Amino acid sequence: MNILVELGLYFSLLSLLSVGGMPSVIPEMHRYVVEQRGWISHNDFIEMFALGQAAPGPNVLISSLIGWKIAGIPGALVTLAAMCGPAAVLSFWVAGVWDRLQGTPWRAVAQRAMAPMVIGLILSGGFVLATPGGSPDWRLWTIAALSAWAMVATKRNPLWMLAGGAAAGAILL
Amino acid sequence: MPVTPPRNLTELFLGFLSIGARSFGGVMPWAYRVIVEERRWMSEEDFTATIGLCQFLPGPNVGNASIVLGKKWFGLKGSVVAFLGFFGLPFLWVLALASLYGEFALQPGVKSVVTGVAAAGAGLFIGTAIKLAKPIARKPAALVVITGCFIAVGIGRVSMLIVIPIAALISYYLAKRGLL
Repeated sequence: MNILVELGLYFSLLSLLSVGGMPSVIPEMHRYVVEQRGWISHNDFIEMFALGQAAPGPNVLISSLIGWKIAGIPGALVTLAAMCGPAAVLSFWVAGVWDRLQGTPWRAVAQRAMAPMVIGLILSGGFVLATPGGSPDWRLWTIAALSAWAMVATKRNPLWMLAGGAAAGAILL
Repeated sequence: MPVTPPRNLTELFLGFLSIGARSFGGVMPWAYRVIVEERRWMSEEDFTATIGLCQFLPGPNVGNASIVLGKKWFGLKGSVVAFLGFFGLPFLWVLALASLYGEFALQPGVKSVVTGVAAAGAGLFIGTAIKLAKPIARKPAALVVITGCFIAVGIGRVSMLIVIPIAALISYYLAKRGLL
């Protein structure tokens, strides 16, 4: 199958699975493009992740960077459109319905059910990104732990944590 | 403070353009600043309700907000205009950055710095998860779902296509029983 078609279909599926936003599907994206298909290496993946985090804009652009690495500019456009498209159609359709569900028990139950799933998935994303090939590296884990601590304990702009990671990377790695 | 929705599509486009262009280090604070504080398109309560919906839906939160708010004010045309305004500049910027990076990637030292940034970014994910978990950390059922998802997806590397439907069913059942 043409790689663009394949990217488009797969990222459309991810779009609908991205409960709680893009971070939830990072582990699945990594599993598919790195581990299953071998389109790019783990290093390529975290390079694109780092660039996407450091650049302004929504973090969903990480998916277009991954698409770019796999299939150039067309890949970037296809993955971004696929990652946003199905969710956008759903949002457009649900926008009016949601207000009518305000205060219904179903809405409250669904929201409470989603929270722990999203947390487990985001944790998985952090773990996969900081553990290349599933083998622990204490230096990466230390950087990740400090950055997580800074995020929880301070109100600083996350760019400071990324800058700290850059400095620590230059010294430790 | 009186609120007035954007008067035309140009205003809508420029508003979302300025959210996308300025959002270093996170989009949500900028969306709030532009929509509620600077342009006063809607009240804080309405903004919070809209974001609640967009966090519930799959997809990028503020990307979804551009669709929902565009529709609310101008219908389908509004959705398309707000979406393009929001993504246009960050998309170009990120590709420019990636091309630039391609030129430097082989320099010694660059790889270490980027790996460090990625590890810090991974830490931001973990920090976000901890913050989200705080309000529900005392509920054993929540910890079971969190740990289950983490073991399956993070450590076991099981496909989300399998994990999500199963976890959703269990989680929904637990929430319905009042355990979450």
